[in-house]
Amino acid sequence: MKLPPALRLPSRVGWRDHVIGGLLALAYVAWLLAGARSLGFPRDEGVYFAAGSSYFRWWHALFERGREMLQPGAIDAAFGNNSEHPPLMKTLFGASEWLLHEKWHVFADASTAFRLPGMMTAGLAIWVTYLFGARAWSRRAGLVAALLFALMPQVFFNAHLACFDVPITAMWTLCVYVHWRAQEKRTWRWAIAVGVAYGLCLATKHNAWFLPAVLVPHALFVQRHSIWRALRVGRVSIPASIVSMFTVGPLVLYALWPRLWNDAMGGLEFWAKFMLNHEYYNIEFLGKNYFGPPSPKSYLPVMVLATVPTITILLFLAGAIDRIGVGVRRLRARAMNLAHRDPGDTPPRDPLETDLLLALSFCVAVGPFFLSKTPIFGGTKHWMPAYPVLALFAGRGFDLVTAAMHRALPSLGDTKRRLAEVALVALVVVAPLAVTAHSHPFGLSAYVPLVGGTAGGADMGLNRQFWGFTTQTAAEEYLNPRAPRGATVFILDTTWTAWAHMQEEGRVRGDLRVVGAPGEAMLSLVQHELHMNEVDYDIWIADGSDAPVYVVTHDDVPFVSIYGRR
Amino acid sequence: MSATALSALQRWAFAIVPAVGLVELVAHVAQTRPAASDGDWAAARAWVAANAKPEDLVAFAPKWIDPVGRMRFGDDIANLEREARPDETRFPRAIEVAIRGAHLAAFDGWRKSGTQRFGGVTVTTWENPSPAHVLSDLVSMIEPRHAHVFRGDTECQWSHTHPESGGLGYGPAVPADRFTCPGGGFAGMSVVADLDYVPHRCIYAPPTGGPLRIRFDGVRFGHELHGHHAIYVEAERMKTGAPVTLSFTSGGTSIGSVVHRDGDGWKPFELDTSQLDGQTGELTVEVSSPSSDRRQYCFEADTR
Repeated sequence: MKLPPALRLPSRVGWRDHVIGGLLALAYVAWLLAGARSLGFPRDEGVYFAAGSSYFRWWHALFERGREMLQPGAIDAAFGNNSEHPPLMKTLFGASEWLLHEKWHVFADASTAFRLPGMMTAGLAIWVTYLFGARAWSRRAGLVAALLFALMPQVFFNAHLACFDVPITAMWTLCVYVHWRAQEKRTWRWAIAVGVAYGLCLATKHNAWFLPAVLVPHALFVQRHSIWRALRVGRVSIPASIVSMFTVGPLVLYALWPRLWNDAMGGLEFWAKFMLNHEYYNIEFLGKNYFGPPSPKSYLPVMVLATVPTITILLFLAGAIDRIGVGVRRLRARAMNLAHRDPGDTPPRDPLETDLLLALSFCVAVGPFFLSKTPIFGGTKHWMPAYPVLALFAGRGFDLVTAAMHRALPSLGDTKRRLAEVALVALVVVAPLAVTAHSHPFGLSAYVPLVGGTAGGADMGLNRQFWGFTTQTAAEEYLNPRAPRGATVFILDTTWTAWAHMQEEGRVRGDLRVVGAPGEAMLSLVQHELHMNEVDYDIWIADGSDAPVYVVTHDDVPFVSIYGRR
Repeated sequence: MSATALSALQRWAFAIVPAVGLVELVAHVAQTRPAASDGDWAAARAWVAANAKPEDLVAFAPKWIDPVGRMRFGDDIANLEREARPDETRFPRAIEVAIRGAHLAAFDGWRKSGTQRFGGVTVTTWENPSPAHVLSDLVSMIEPRHAHVFRGDTECQWSHTHPESGGLGYGPAVPADRFTCPGGGFAGMSVVADLDYVPHRCIYAPPTGGPLRIRFDGVRFGHELHGHHAIYVEAERMKTGAPVTLSFTSGGTSIGSVVHRDGDGWKPFELDTSQLDGQTGELTVEVSSPSSDRRQYCFEADTR
């Protein structure tokens, strides 16, 4: 069976691939939107909702009232809220809410409108991952990479939220991709694009501070010959993309963050100090509660193995080992050449040094988590910028497996050959799809079958949740249908702002009243994390009973206990 | 292995990938099935209610299923004495209620005397090879019929008021029934989260504003005084607080004292009372510390 010419893709990656990437992105955003209402509000989201509204309303007022809004007091009043994080995503959250909820009523829930920009960045990450893989290796590799990235349960969870972790993953990946393209094109347009992409990255989250450690050495290595030639004639040649990154990038950040307009150095210093001296929060790892340094060095490898589908890890290893092998063979050939010996069969030279770039991107994204002072309270979300690269190597691994399959089955006709490829893709993505779909809305505690699933994660003493977002599920399953009218509720880890949003959107009954202590409450909630156990015990004494009236579970594992005053 | 077989193996090595994908899918489906139905839990509860003696321990495995176990079994079976036990030594038997094939390491070395299966719930009875015979449990005696509490020379009054509790970082709940001292300080039964966040039923007696003395009357002495003490996890985990000393006397004679330092966690102690063995009398406990700053101290002790 041959595809009709109209459906056949040219060998050169082009606009049709943008259509494929865009469709993958759209499908993912649609999937995320479908599950938005069943996911409660984590602590941070409530803060970012408020900050986003404040930021966007300032921009809106600037266009309506002009210079008046440029007064330092007006800027500080709007941007003083959550000034420890840069403004890009919060501004987009606010803009989306204003346009798509308040003005055009596209979304009935304000929260869905707030969350849409974050979801769209997840789509962007998928789109760019597909393009990267398609250009670097093959369309098949790009497609599988994009799918395997999308089907990481913890990525899926975070992609729902009006937070910064998936957006910085997308911006990081975009920046690395644009930089890679810029090394090939060597035009000012691409160089400026690198600067803009890096500026957007800086305006998204502080992970961007580490990106120069990826892009600078890579650009210098790719352009080493021209840099060396220039040096020999007494000139210093710096790659234009790097110049742009360090000039256009900060300008974009400055333009997007009016708080810096009053006091740039002060604002940047506050941002840096906040992040470099960030408070340590509690988090469980292998049954122990960590609340300060030193952080366990095994945290990242164990959590990656426990949360990324095993088939993805297997393909990543296949792809990464292949690329390491290619690199070693190239180095060996280089050494043989220097020794004036026959290098034999040498892999073709990649002028863009793609393997080096991806390896740097991966290592720099995960590197800080091997330092004992780096807090680990964010679970897997803080090293998510490494995941598109992990998926890209998995895509490369899939190419190798497909090639091996074709070698093993040489007599297959075209149709059967294509069907075999489709079946292979299906077998590779079906388990990640099942695990990811099943994880919602408990994606933060989604552990892969290798460690026994959610129950296995609980057995191992791995983090079950944080931010108190499961209160919504407790409301759906118990509070809304069964709580007495006007009951007082102690909500522990859920913020009162999040609770108020859930009541505004009809997710939690409006007559239920929040109180600040179990002793004042008719119903008390405990969102199960190791360090929350102490509140369980307090409730036992305050309520005179240690038996919950209801327990929210997922795969048998308790998430929220609800106690009723006797 | 022959060259042909090796060649075939290499040729089909790619199949490992789709095979792993399938195995992962099948494992996911198996792992996400509920381990036990409502009926299984109800049947297990009925059996335990009929067979557990008051002195038996009832415990749930794995540990994380404990909230579900407490909900299913209720606080008459999953009571504080069992859930917030000081250790397992006092229980002659343990009834372990488990799902997913789990087992509590605490019963390693105990003798299995029976197993009942109720669908996905397995109930195993374990015999303690050397149970301790508890004569008096001080935690159960912290009420006016058996105890008097003093701060300095002033007696603290027994009161029934509202419990005091809070959110994360509050510390152990202050019980509704407690001895309240004029000018601050109290003593009453509460549950402390130790350094590992394990619950322990204990006498919450922070040495606020000076040493706190608790006199227990009618204590039956054996050959030893066995106990544990701890400071609320968040108050001791930074290891910056002052030590707390717990001293025991009877009839004006010292039995001994133990010191709890930050980082010790749920620290066990044993004091020799063989000279009082067989007697019934007064036992005075003094809790003291050079500082009362966040000394959210709790202890338990029994005679055996």
